[in-house]
Amino acid sequence: MSRPHRSHLSDAALVVALLILGIQVYLFETVLQSVLDGQRALLPGAFAASLVLTAIALLLAFKVPRIDQGPKH
Amino acid sequence: MALWRRSFPVDLADEGRFSRREFARFLALVSAGFTAGLGYLWLRKKPLEGAPEPRGQNEVPVALGLAADLRPGQSRLFTFRDAQDRCILLRTPMGELRAFRQTCTHLGCAVRFRNDRLECPCHEGFFEVERGFPIQGPPTRPLSGIALELRSDGTLWAVGDLPKPTDLPARAGAACPRILPKEVEA
Repeated sequence: MSRPHRSHLSDAALVVALLILGIQVYLFETVLQSVLDGQRALLPGAFAASLVLTAIALLLAFKVPRIDQGPKH
Repeated sequence: MALWRRSFPVDLADEGRFSRREFARFLALVSAGFTAGLGYLWLRKKPLEGAPEPRGQNEVPVALGLAADLRPGQSRLFTFRDAQDRCILLRTPMGELRAFRQTCTHLGCAVRFRNDRLECPCHEGFFEVERGFPIQGPPTRPLSGIALELRSDGTLWAVGDLPKPTDLPARAGAACPRILPKEVEA
């Protein structure tokens, strides 16, 4: 069965996606704790950083056509 | 052949290839969910449950009586902004007056002043009385402090919120037998 290389995602891309999610979890937990402490000043910056991370994750997941050569047949 | 493989007849190689891409998409969507959550927190005007209101709103001073009436080790309850905003005024063993919201930062039980520290009876959380830091038990965030004002006629007034402290005081360890001095210094 032939398989298009277009769908293949490299280990590096997957690790970056996992890393981004880890950062997002840490960021959200930290910001939520700060908000509960009444400190809202970092919300705009945290939102911007989170937006950039999400954009990268979406780019990796949906738009990167082929990062490596994929598995050999 | 296992039942699940008969039910989902996907070639193993294809399964690995597609699941990796789809897993990355799932991660990206979860990441977008966190971003949306942060955006919601940013745009939300009303404070979250348990969070203090922004400073400068509803700052009506509340009279707490004569400061001299409270002796070291004693405490008194009062309400600040409304009937639900329960606070505790206390005089520390060192003779200093402190006031905190009674709401425990763990699960919201009412703390009480006992044995020179504030304790939450629900889950045995303890806070030191200087700045309201948690020193033992489940709470991880300090209590909300209330700013006090001693007027010339000897009366004590609650006048607003104190900013949340962020640095652990050195004496917090001394108040808690479970915290070793090395942990506090580190």
